[in-house]
Amino acid sequence: MSDSHDQSHQPPVEGSIRPHVFDGIAEYNKRLPNWWLLTFYGSIAYAVAYWFYFAQSGIPPTDTVLIDQEMQRIEAAKLASAPVVDDPSLWKMSRNAVFVDAGKETYNSMCASCHLPSLKGKHESPTAVGPDLTDGNWIHGGTPIAVHKTINEGVMEKGMPAWEPVLGPKKVAEVTAYVLSFHQEGDPVTIVTSAEH
Amino acid sequence: MTAPSHPPKPNLDAVTTIREDGSHLFLHPADVRGRFTLARRISGWFLIALYLSLPWIEVGGYPAVFLDVLGRRFHLFGWTLAFQDAWLLFFLISGLGFALFFVTALLGRVWCGWACPQTVFLEHVYRLIERIIEGDGTRRRALDNAPMSASKLAKRTLKHGLYVLVSLTIAHLFLAYYVSIPELWAMMHSAPAEHWSAFVFVGIFAGALYFNFAWFREQLCIVICPYGRIQSALIDDHSMVIGYDAKRGEPRGKLGTPDAGACVSCNRCVQVCPTGIDIRQGLQIECIGCAACIDACDEVMTKVGRPTGLIRYDSLRGLAGGVTKWVRSRTIIYSVLLAIGATVAIWAFSGVQPANFGITRMQGAAYFVDANSVRNQFLVRLINKRHEPARLVVTAADLPPGAVQVGFMAPVELPAMGEVVSPLVIQVSRDIYSGPFHFRVGVSDEAKTYQLGRQVEFIGPEPELLREQSGRDHRGDYHSKKEKHEREESR
Repeated sequence: MSDSHDQSHQPPVEGSIRPHVFDGIAEYNKRLPNWWLLTFYGSIAYAVAYWFYFAQSGIPPTDTVLIDQEMQRIEAAKLASAPVVDDPSLWKMSRNAVFVDAGKETYNSMCASCHLPSLKGKHESPTAVGPDLTDGNWIHGGTPIAVHKTINEGVMEKGMPAWEPVLGPKKVAEVTAYVLSFHQEGDPVTIVTSAEH
Repeated sequence: MTAPSHPPKPNLDAVTTIREDGSHLFLHPADVRGRFTLARRISGWFLIALYLSLPWIEVGGYPAVFLDVLGRRFHLFGWTLAFQDAWLLFFLISGLGFALFFVTALLGRVWCGWACPQTVFLEHVYRLIERIIEGDGTRRRALDNAPMSASKLAKRTLKHGLYVLVSLTIAHLFLAYYVSIPELWAMMHSAPAEHWSAFVFVGIFAGALYFNFAWFREQLCIVICPYGRIQSALIDDHSMVIGYDAKRGEPRGKLGTPDAGACVSCNRCVQVCPTGIDIRQGLQIECIGCAACIDACDEVMTKVGRPTGLIRYDSLRGLAGGVTKWVRSRTIIYSVLLAIGATVAIWAFSGVQPANFGITRMQGAAYFVDANSVRNQFLVRLINKRHEPARLVVTAADLPPGAVQVGFMAPVELPAMGEVVSPLVIQVSRDIYSGPFHFRVGVSDEAKTYQLGRQVEFIGPEPELLREQSGRDHRGDYHSKKEKHEREESR
């Protein structure tokens, strides 16, 4: 055999060809590799086990439970990083250079476009969007907690956005401290309805 | 082990490496020497050195190749792409596709035999370890068939131990492409729990490498690799392949047989084949173009004093005695497509800007109306894609007269690779407001070496409605206490 010309090989043995023919192409009836069959049957077994474990057994926590757990974790992390917000602590922050400087940086990038870098807003320039933050007149409350609330939740009808979702609790507290640093505890607070000239 | 001491004769009806019962026949190719083997060894080690050294070489402050998925930055030879440039991958992938088409049509499976990491690592690392520990093909086959003994156990333990070690090294360096060497080093020095996903990835990847190179080997090329499967559609009679010159070789006969062809039936070409085929049966899908059979046959031909090249790189046409046509419709079409793709890719890559920006409407109402003006509020997100600080200028252009930009009055400082979000407000005086309009927001560096732009819509009320309203309540709403207060103050 070894010396024969085996480029024109022997015609196939009867039964070694599968009965179907496509475009004149027939297929040998050979056993698939065992490793291939193993992956094939293995993935079927895996699919059944997967379906049973996750959809039927009730052992793993459901997606709802997992999401709730994750939300609790996020909430806890937020609470842990959020500064205490009440009048005395906000006043205290406003005397702390670290807080005020951090607040100034955020203010200049986010708030200065409407309230101006001087914080004087419409008082300085009639075309400015936001009101003066340095005088004793307040539209939405002048106590530290009220100023914090205005920044945090915004004033939708006036166009003041809620900054909590953008900046997060820490930066909102810092910006509040920066605004308060232009005021003194005990300054008179005048409530006005609008800052128009 | 049930393996026979000699592998079965290859035929065209079945894959040699799969037995009748479906089990994997583990091949032990014989040693081979020659010019192609030497050239392949040199290029193989060069490629291994290249693959493994890229994360170590620093270009422009970053590793030569650093696909920083976590930081969403891709550093390629000193060039940085951001995640926003991921669409360029289209050109990379389609370009690789066309290049492979082109090379295959001209040169057949040179990639498989010379450059594919599967072949490179298998031939020059794993099989080398096997060769050093267990000896040549005959000895290895004998060791397979020998009963378990202390020396066999020692050899096998040593071999698989080294396989695991090499696989772990490759897996770690592969991870370094994504996290950089210093980060990898830091990870290796901390507990697995601190970087669990990276640890599991390396474990699984090293396991897959070990399985592939220790046992699976040629099965990947024959059964799994898609390129291996489609290459038969990419080549034609004029593509270069490795083939046997049947006209010269047949009929085969031992030395001295009268009227015999050049082939002395020594079977060396079959013994050295890493995929277990007999190249004399013609071009087959298992052939990875490694040229081992060329070297084996040339050596024998030289020994018996016959001209070499009975098995050689040639086209099917050339092997049949014809002339190979290098320029033909297939190669022309592939090269034209490749040229078009390369041109568009160069255009696309040269258009990559060092910064990007996005603009979104600020939360709340779509527009605001106060005593003086109609107002739209946006948040602009600036992204510096370079690893040096940038100063960017944001301007609103094509504004109608009376419209004013508030915010971004001065250039914005961006740290290296940094992002800055800042508000942009557009105000239009109520007196001249004439309805919604489109304007452009442009971003450029101070020297205006590049410019980016987006069209944005200014939303507002119908001008007639606004005028009616202001006529009706005639600033009634805006006579504020504050105003009165201030007027009083100024008096």
